[in-house]
Amino acid sequence: MRKLTNRLITLLLFLVPLVTQAQISISGRVLNDAGVAVKGASVIIKGKTSGTKTDSQGNFTITAAKGDVLIISSIGFITKQVTVKDGAAITVNLNPADFTMEEVTVAMDIKRNPRELGYSVQNIKGSDIQETQRENFINSLQGRVAGATITSTSGNAGASSSIVLRGFNSLSLSNQPLFVIDGVIADNQTIDENSNGQSGVGLVERGAGLTSTNNRITDYNNRISDMNPNDIESVTVLKGPEATALYGSQASSGAIIITTRKAKTNKLGIQYDNAFRIQTLTRYPQTFDGFQNGFNGDTLSVFRYFGPAYAEGTQRFNNKKNFFKTGFSQTHNLGVDFGFKKSIFRFSSSVFDQDGIVPNNAYNRYSLKLSNTTQLGKYGDISPALSYMHTSNSKVLRSAGGFMLGLLSWPSTNDISKTQGDNATKVPLFNANPNSDFDNPLFNVNNNKNGEKTGRINASLGINLRPTKWLSVAGRFGYETYSTEGFLRYHPLSYYISAGVGGIQDNFWRKYEGYNHTITATAKKTVGKNFNFRVMAGTMWQDYETEMYAVTGSNIVDSIINGKMWKNGTILNDATYKALPSPSDSNATRVITRNRLLRNVYGEYNQSILRSFAYFGEFAFNYKNLVFLNYTHRFEEASTLPESNRKFNYPGASISTIVSDILPFLKKGDILSYMKLRGSVAATARLNTPYSTQSVFVNNLSSGGGFSYGFFNNNPDLHPEKQKTFEIGTEMRFLKSRVTLDATYYNTLNKGQIIENFRLSYGTGYVLNTQNAGSTRNQGVEITLGAKVLDRKSLTWNMQFNFNRGWNKVVELPKNVSLYYLSDGNVYGNAAGGIVLGGSTTSISGWGYMRNKDGEKLINATTGLPVIDGNQRIRGDRNPDFSLGWNNSFAYKNWKLNFLWDSKVGGDIFNGTNQYLTTIGRSTLTADRLTPRVIDGVLMDGLENSANPTRNTMAVVPYYNDNYYRLLPEEEFIEKDVYWFRLRDITLSYMFPARMVKRIKVVKTLSAFFTANDVILISNYTGADASVNANTAGTRGVGTFGFDYGTMPAQLSLNFGFRASF
Amino acid sequence: MKKIKLFNCLLSGTILLSVQSCSKKIDDVYANPNANVKQPIEKLLPNIISNMCISFTSQGSNYGPQNDGLYVGRYVQYWATNTANNQYDLMGQTTTNNTSATADIGGSQWAMHYYGMGTNISKVIEWGTEDKKWDYVGVAHAIRAFGWLAVTDMHGEVILKDAFNPNLLVFRYDTQKEVYDEVIRQCRLAIENLSKTGDGVSAANLAQGASYFSLQGDVEKWKKFTYAIMARTFHRITNKSSYSADSVIKYCNLAVNNNADNAYVLFQGVSSQTNSYYGSFRGFIGALRQTKFIADLESGLNSSFPGVVDPRAWYIIRENTANTFKGIRPGKGVEALTTNDQPRNFWGGLYSATTGTNANSRYVFKDAMPWPVVTACEIQFLKAEALYRKGDKPGAQAAYSNGISLNIDMLNNDYSSSVPVTRLINPAMKAAFIANPLVVPSAANLNLSHIMLQKYIALYGYGFMETWADLRRFHYLDIEAGTTRQVYTDFAPPALAELFANNNQKYVYRIRPRFNSEFLYNIDALTQIGALALDFHTKEQWFTQP
Repeated sequence: MRKLTNRLITLLLFLVPLVTQAQISISGRVLNDAGVAVKGASVIIKGKTSGTKTDSQGNFTITAAKGDVLIISSIGFITKQVTVKDGAAITVNLNPADFTMEEVTVAMDIKRNPRELGYSVQNIKGSDIQETQRENFINSLQGRVAGATITSTSGNAGASSSIVLRGFNSLSLSNQPLFVIDGVIADNQTIDENSNGQSGVGLVERGAGLTSTNNRITDYNNRISDMNPNDIESVTVLKGPEATALYGSQASSGAIIITTRKAKTNKLGIQYDNAFRIQTLTRYPQTFDGFQNGFNGDTLSVFRYFGPAYAEGTQRFNNKKNFFKTGFSQTHNLGVDFGFKKSIFRFSSSVFDQDGIVPNNAYNRYSLKLSNTTQLGKYGDISPALSYMHTSNSKVLRSAGGFMLGLLSWPSTNDISKTQGDNATKVPLFNANPNSDFDNPLFNVNNNKNGEKTGRINASLGINLRPTKWLSVAGRFGYETYSTEGFLRYHPLSYYISAGVGGIQDNFWRKYEGYNHTITATAKKTVGKNFNFRVMAGTMWQDYETEMYAVTGSNIVDSIINGKMWKNGTILNDATYKALPSPSDSNATRVITRNRLLRNVYGEYNQSILRSFAYFGEFAFNYKNLVFLNYTHRFEEASTLPESNRKFNYPGASISTIVSDILPFLKKGDILSYMKLRGSVAATARLNTPYSTQSVFVNNLSSGGGFSYGFFNNNPDLHPEKQKTFEIGTEMRFLKSRVTLDATYYNTLNKGQIIENFRLSYGTGYVLNTQNAGSTRNQGVEITLGAKVLDRKSLTWNMQFNFNRGWNKVVELPKNVSLYYLSDGNVYGNAAGGIVLGGSTTSISGWGYMRNKDGEKLINATTGLPVIDGNQRIRGDRNPDFSLGWNNSFAYKNWKLNFLWDSKVGGDIFNGTNQYLTTIGRSTLTADRLTPRVIDGVLMDGLENSANPTRNTMAVVPYYNDNYYRLLPEEEFIEKDVYWFRLRDITLSYMFPARMVKRIKVVKTLSAFFTANDVILISNYTGADASVNANTAGTRGVGTFGFDYGTMPAQLSLNFGFRASF
Repeated sequence: MKKIKLFNCLLSGTILLSVQSCSKKIDDVYANPNANVKQPIEKLLPNIISNMCISFTSQGSNYGPQNDGLYVGRYVQYWATNTANNQYDLMGQTTTNNTSATADIGGSQWAMHYYGMGTNISKVIEWGTEDKKWDYVGVAHAIRAFGWLAVTDMHGEVILKDAFNPNLLVFRYDTQKEVYDEVIRQCRLAIENLSKTGDGVSAANLAQGASYFSLQGDVEKWKKFTYAIMARTFHRITNKSSYSADSVIKYCNLAVNNNADNAYVLFQGVSSQTNSYYGSFRGFIGALRQTKFIADLESGLNSSFPGVVDPRAWYIIRENTANTFKGIRPGKGVEALTTNDQPRNFWGGLYSATTGTNANSRYVFKDAMPWPVVTACEIQFLKAEALYRKGDKPGAQAAYSNGISLNIDMLNNDYSSSVPVTRLINPAMKAAFIANPLVVPSAANLNLSHIMLQKYIALYGYGFMETWADLRRFHYLDIEAGTTRQVYTDFAPPALAELFANNNQKYVYRIRPRFNSEFLYNIDALTQIGALALDFHTKEQWFTQP
């Protein structure tokens, strides 16, 4: 190429008359982008040392030859080159160089100038993430990224969090983005207990009185939370498919691109910081507790509170206080930078140790990482990295069967701390049979334990080669592996199992190995002065293998007689129960009761393997750095699909135009300083889960053993889901870039959705079916508005708003599927995330009131109670009207104050906790139960739809008829238009002045900080916190955000710590 | 320029090479490594067999007659609920219209046939044909015939022509006649294949798949089983002019004729999955008590057998603490029965108890007792009725007497466990019982009531599907032509006014198709057969109509 250029230049030189070599005097003027003179700008001739500076009017004069290149530079502006043509005066407009013009890392670990991007990207600094002190860094993105929805499963230590960008597209498959660390794809699975029709990995469905828990009552870490947040240098969020088209189907829900911290020089530098955190419960479901246990006004020893009012002077206990404790965590981070000549290293390590506010709920993590960057002279560099992470999580049951519901149901006349019993006994409350008596919440967390441990190794290698000036080759190779070991035990005396079962225990072992590489070659060429071309070709290979071995068994003890546990002919006591094999030992259960899934029966791990190969290309072109066109195409082949449908490809295209530079007059008057318009359109695909194309046999457990077909009619003709998106947007800066605006509209159509597990007539020979059927459309607007409110020497104030409004619709469903939902979400009562044609994809379905044609409630003519419509119908929509994050940072001398308000406005929430509390008489709804009332409605007497329906006049006194509360449908508990405003994180930090630090030898910098999380919550939600999820991050599809059932809310966290560098 | 070309070649060359090897690597992991998409047919048969009684797989359990029998057994008054006004005692059906389990009540055989047996049987036929294992193919056809008969007897019109098609979204229903024709067609295919020898046919190999079925690998016995299904089917239409007693007699003669050929589903009896649905271990019938009808029939209080105390009572029903046999009336609960008169539950516990022990249980209510699918005594009663209808009273009397004898032998052979020693039927007792003219009258005095009531006793506890078909053929209350005697003497359904509200004062004749299969996804087809009507379950089926 260089030869070619040289030849061209030689050719040109031949054609140019010799006179052009003569020196001429050139005069010119340098202006900024708003047309204002720039004084003191340096003007030099390329390849020479001589030069001049502009005067106060921006004018300069220089002697040069025709064809010389003038380099014009000034601090605060982007350097510009101008070729001397003839003697005519030159006017040079310099564009301001500000931070937003820094290159951003996009797909394939490639850095790009934001000017050229035809899609929106958002960048978050690692320091902002670290400052929040959130151990699961995903949680620190909420409010900081327009269009990102982060849902934490619960406030428990080690809880999983899911992240969704730009709303939900897929109804049955994952909507979570791809995680890419330094160009290498990283795993962020959360264990999905469902084995996908027993064709893949998952837990065994338990018999013995417990059906599959369907991601409802246990939680598992989302694996990206293994990452040490302190290793993050920056995060780029790529939301649209065009941005991620090059990553293919894996990134059909966007991508989170993480760049890790690397050493900057080869000089020794050490950083250490720590944080100590206390956590305390500040939010708790509101309850009412005025009546004794009983029914219809009569005392009865049951966990319902419809008895008479408590007698005055009845001793009551604060069981909430007896239960929760103050959580404590600490974290220590160490970073060491060092190097040898052109090879520089960074070593980092981190310890995080959390003891939650719930007894037996703890999470800890340590990590080690060593990374290196070695320059290979002018030809490029290599950057290998190796890290090890270890996490362990002691967990408690949540939601149904969890401590929270137990605590809410427990009678306040009983002190839980005195009645929990020891390991071998459960103090009976209402029932002599302990298995029929509710678990004391302390007994529950102490004895129904679960936990997991993970060790993870990650190795990556980055190679950048620049064999010639115009060509660069990059390779990113990543390998990671982890193994997780976990268990869940139900104590033999637990309420949630029957006495005959003798305790249940699950154990699982999970292994993951993933390898992926991306190799790209990029060639650049400038034709003439104004046309720049770039061509990239690349290939990608992905191979992810997850394996799991799971066993469930029962009979930890031999039998339970009169509330006593027997083992080997003796009654167990506290000591002998403790001496039984630990819950992590699957030998604890009786051999014959053990169930295993598929190959586990033969002692082998079940596997889920995804392999995908792709090659892709990008063609980019720009004119004068003003108009950018980009076209990408990816060809992919993935192992989850049958051979006939396995190869697919999709295009993407984008355009970006810098309007303010094309039409400079727009910038006059210093109002508008920059304006870009962009648009992109792209298609992508989303893969089915492995093996969902093959109907398989499952174990026959009845006499004779063998096999039978499972529920799943796994479709051998499946195609990938096809997703098409277009987005348009603009970036604008005003008032000398003090105000910045980025706005985007996107529209995604996801066609031929892989509807998995939907029901049809058993006439198919199966129960659940998988087909390409159904489409959804998902649209939204994202706006990021930034402002430097104050910019004085001593005091600065920056703020940023992240706004998102999205809406979605099911535009196609099979004709005979009147309502479709994933059963995982059916967590309490009859509520589920059902969807219907024409409805929202984030609907809530459930039972409601029967109404007449005028929408009035129908009343049962004999009971005076409302008639319930026991059909799953759409009763609400969880989709918020908008969400808004408001981020502020103040700096005053050595002080810094940052805080983030996060708000969500609109969207419905199913408050299953309150429905449950209502059925047991503990909801505030049931406080006024003695007042007779007539339910507003018309009698269902045959006249209800006539012109003169009979108005209900029957009075009900709920005190004597608790069906008034107990038969209420879900409709009553779907809280409409819930909003929240929360002060998510606030940090005050102080940098000790250098002169003070100098006194402590070796220390270079020292700062101290105080951070508080989840400080203020203002909400119209009647539950503890509207940020709820009934399932874990492992649930696919739209999931169950907005479903509250015994959810543990986030706690107030106070962090203190200091940061030092040496 | 050269460099560019060279590089392009290299790049594209690498890509082409890797495309091939990558495609191979991708194809390597397409197939599910965890579960086979093909299994030996020997491994499929055990589940198919368990479906004829009660199934238990890791995906779907409790399909089969035992589950539906909880409700059908109430309609035929084998048992009733220990509390009053149970809707099934009152001949009602489920009104639940949601995805909960109660919505599927009465749909267990639907699930058994279309899903539990469904594709599994199809594959035994397909792969068995490939491997020329004709015995397996024959057995598969025989059990498919059993399935078709079970679903149509239960539901009337069912999915026939569209069945087992995984690519359809909606499924049409076909007439009951077509389904009966299909039963016969399947039976003929079964006989044809069971008659083949050579190739992959092997009694030892068939016994592998049928190890928990009493017929094991004996194809001759399997043929008798098949003929029994044919006899039942031909006998369904006694009310029609097209009824052919000769066909029934012919197939009865070919069918199971001695107790050694009885078709039983066997239980391993070690866990929930391998125990009977009716045993105390699994505990599903704790609320059920024997009815007055069976108790009276066994203790000489039925007007067709006045004063005849049946020694079989100690085997098949439960004494009370006064050691007499009393029962409850459907929908009435315990009524005025004194504590001493209240029948024990089927596991020997007191009336008030809903639990009991296996040691105290008897008959098919024990945990791991064989579950009769076809018995020799049933075939004799079938034959007796056919001969009776044909006018061959002596023949009918012989078959009738033989039926009682076979039933007593069957009880002694297979169900004497836990019967008090003093109550065991010895040969003398048996002989005396059969010699009693009140039990076995002269051929001239034999009437339909004798046959149907003794059949009722012989099938008690397990034969509810046959008994229900019989009772419906006689519209519960039919009077034998030319007499004033109710065929099922003293059988009293709940009073019309007391029937379940949705019945609109009509008796039950069918159960709606399984809710979770049909009511959300196959509405058009349901509408066509009228299944959305709340009293659909009282709509008389085709087979009982003239």
